[in-house]
Amino acid sequence: MDDVLRQGVEIRLTVNGRKHREVVEPRLLLADFLRQRLGLTGTHLGCEQGVCGSCTVVVDGETMRSCLLFAAQMDGSGVETIEGLADDPDRLHPVQQAFWDHHGLQCGFCTPGMVLTAKALLEENPEPSGAEIREALAGNICRCTGYVFIVDSVKAAAETMASNAPRGESP
Amino acid sequence: MSYRKQPKLLGARVRRVEDPRFLMGKARYIEDIELPGMIDAAFVRSPFAHAEILSVDVSEALAVPGVIAALHGQDLSGRVKPTVCDAISDGWQSSEFPALAIDRVRYAGEAVAVIAADNRYLAEDGAALVDVDYEPLTPLASVEAAQEPTAPLLHKGWKGNYFYRDRHAGGDPDLAFSNADGVLEIELATRRHGGIPMEGRGCIAVYDPIERVLTLWSSTQIPHLIRSELANCLGLPENRVRVIAPDVGGGFGPKSHLNPEEVAACVLAMDTRRPVRWIEDRREHMLACFHSREHYHKARVAYSEEGEVLALSAEVTVDCGAYSVYPWTAALDPGMSLFIMPGPYRIRNFRCETLAVATNKCPYGAYRGVARSANCLTIERAMDAVADALGMDPVEVRKRNLIRDEEFPYTSVSGFVYDDTSLIESLDKVCAEADYEGMRERQRLAREKGRLLGIGVVTFIEQTAPAVDEGVPINFRYDSALVRLDPSGSATVQLGTHSHGQGHETTIAQIVADQLTIPLDQIRILYGDTQQTAQGIGTFASRTAVVAGGAAHIASGQVRDMLAERGAHLMEAAAEDVELVDGRVTVRGSGTRGLSVAEVARATYYHPELFPFGWSPLLEAAGTFDAGHGTYANASQIVLVEVDPETGAVEILEYHIVEDCGRMINPTIVEGQIHGGVAQGIGGAFFEELIYDEQGQLLTTSFMDYLIPGPTELPDFRISHLETPSPTSPNGIKGVGEGGAVAPYAIMAAAVQDAIRPIGNVFVNELPLTPERVLGFVDRAAGRTDREARRSG
Repeated sequence: MDDVLRQGVEIRLTVNGRKHREVVEPRLLLADFLRQRLGLTGTHLGCEQGVCGSCTVVVDGETMRSCLLFAAQMDGSGVETIEGLADDPDRLHPVQQAFWDHHGLQCGFCTPGMVLTAKALLEENPEPSGAEIREALAGNICRCTGYVFIVDSVKAAAETMASNAPRGESP
Repeated sequence: MSYRKQPKLLGARVRRVEDPRFLMGKARYIEDIELPGMIDAAFVRSPFAHAEILSVDVSEALAVPGVIAALHGQDLSGRVKPTVCDAISDGWQSSEFPALAIDRVRYAGEAVAVIAADNRYLAEDGAALVDVDYEPLTPLASVEAAQEPTAPLLHKGWKGNYFYRDRHAGGDPDLAFSNADGVLEIELATRRHGGIPMEGRGCIAVYDPIERVLTLWSSTQIPHLIRSELANCLGLPENRVRVIAPDVGGGFGPKSHLNPEEVAACVLAMDTRRPVRWIEDRREHMLACFHSREHYHKARVAYSEEGEVLALSAEVTVDCGAYSVYPWTAALDPGMSLFIMPGPYRIRNFRCETLAVATNKCPYGAYRGVARSANCLTIERAMDAVADALGMDPVEVRKRNLIRDEEFPYTSVSGFVYDDTSLIESLDKVCAEADYEGMRERQRLAREKGRLLGIGVVTFIEQTAPAVDEGVPINFRYDSALVRLDPSGSATVQLGTHSHGQGHETTIAQIVADQLTIPLDQIRILYGDTQQTAQGIGTFASRTAVVAGGAAHIASGQVRDMLAERGAHLMEAAAEDVELVDGRVTVRGSGTRGLSVAEVARATYYHPELFPFGWSPLLEAAGTFDAGHGTYANASQIVLVEVDPETGAVEILEYHIVEDCGRMINPTIVEGQIHGGVAQGIGGAFFEELIYDEQGQLLTTSFMDYLIPGPTELPDFRISHLETPSPTSPNGIKGVGEGGAVAPYAIMAAAVQDAIRPIGNVFVNELPLTPERVLGFVDRAAGRTDREARRSG
């Protein structure tokens, strides 16, 4: 059984637009793969039970919990992490910028998961109500903020993204 | 040439300077640090709440490929001192808390052995193969079980299962009770829960055998205090121990302790000469990161027909678990309760007895609003009970008892000297903001339609940056700041405190910017490394804005004076004739532009020949601020809830807050602190409970069964501010970190009771108000009238 566990599985995947070919143990979690193998430590582990949402990443366009996925499952997939959103504080994604402008974070630990979940929401629903924002973020726990300024941040990001959108696209 | 005058930054809603690294995923939390040769540790934890350890066999674990080392309690016995954290009191019983249990385990989850391996997966494989032979003992899983006459004693040499018992009295309670128009008795319970930061605990220990320096990276709020006790446990001088707290993913109190796991990791690092990392998982966190909040109160209240509370007599029992923790001791909550219970009210007769019971549960530590939330619950529920007994409005009863403005400074019955606050003003203001009269009318109309709306009102006073001079092993009155101006005229400020969400890289810079009159982006705030900062205490107890903010204000004021003196010399002016404005030293009224801070700094460092021989070329100062016994913040809150009597669900319809933390450095950050504190308080009021069974097994070890409020459970809070400056702290600042967490237990209990009043009278006295408990209160309300809160003849 030990031998099976330690046998490598070869995977090819794209992370934040970069192609990787890696050999991984079958039991290696996607979160640990991203953090330890690729050095992408912006993906945080808050519970390792799939509840808190801190480890949220985007896999093939869907937000997923990287603590509940094995790296070996990612063969052929495209993964986006928080590091893929911006590489310069002067060129933040509108969601990141809005969190900065509206004090949408305190300790910052849940923030990458929050930002990725909010971004996914706004891509699907560009004008969410406060209740829709809270519903969309219901799987992400923040222990610091009480969520008020997070909701404000997401509303502000929606406005920025709407005004940045090419004319004629938004209703 | 003109330039814009730099606006004063104290009080400005400045955007946080530290945010980009968090937003971009580039922060460095403990688990993000990679060191060459690093190995991972995993702990073997006791499955029993109480047992003798007969033997520990690590041979199978050591045989796992990749496992490098193993330690258990006997390996450390005699080599590492256990933590002994004693309160100084006649009613105290001392005990030892070993890093790894030696011959006995006292709570389920206690660390028994540790395995280090090439990675955590392998360390956990090894830990699963450690064979521990236990002889189970009677588990003492509750205050009652621990106090049974036949209960085994938990620690050597004890005469009963308690860490601490004490009493305090002021005035003449007996006389007041005998003369009162009415006396009522209440009992209250807040169940065990905790801070539960999103990032668990963790550390990396590194030993350099050549320099003989031990470095511990730890996710901690208190690096200096950790250094002191680590050095003590390991027998090292403190100049050979360095503690670094990197970015910390939430503190809230649980990260203000020395963890036994950290001591064990240090020993592993010294033995293996490899960096050893320990990152707990959530299950370990729930089992072994110190819990809080388990209070049981009994109180008798004497009152007059006018609604004045004449006397308060209370018994406070806290389930403190298995060990006394560093640096707080097990007297933390019970000791504080002896003094804070009368709160903001003019109660002149008070008696309190307190008991810290030892049980076979996880040790008890600090959590945001230590002892305050439970004591606020008791005194506020007492006010509500008096109001009900007399048929008065709860706001009116509070107004009759609150300390009046003209009475400040007010010496409380327990000896606090409360200075300026806005107790009555805050209550008036929150009533206006919430339209309290209108809210009562809406409640009446809703009740006519069969809806159960309830209103809760709370007022409290909170000692922020508190310290006591007696009874404690460490007195936390001060903190430190080193302010250093470099030759380019930019400033580096090193704090003895730590920031883990509070935004001190911004707020402390705002204070320093006003002193040095340089732009915010020319100021860097550093903290968290004992080798780079002056001795400090840490961040907890709503203290950093007061003590570190005060220290930074004082130290940067000294640097400002040095700049002025040197600038005056360069301009051949008298020091008293120059001033620092907008980053320039100018001669007052001269109309010239003077010299920039950078010009003066460069001249000072690189051209000492321009100054009299002997003038220091260093533009730096170390400052401390001693806050004495602290500053006094206050707040009033009103909540409107709706109870569903079929499901027991409670919906928060409105939550109004008027807070007064003195002068605000940054109102946005103040609001964020309040939001977060109230959210945690609501968690404790409705959702969060660490439930042990009779065998001392924790039943709530995941976020599936320990519920933390999410975005859909919490309302939009409506906050407004009052600013009554502290008369004692620089800039009039008071603390605000904990305030939000103080009131929700009391306010939600009041609101739920008020909501179910149409069904019947019941005294809501036990939290959290889970649907099950709410339904229990609804049933009791329907079946009979209030039993606990009664007016005695």
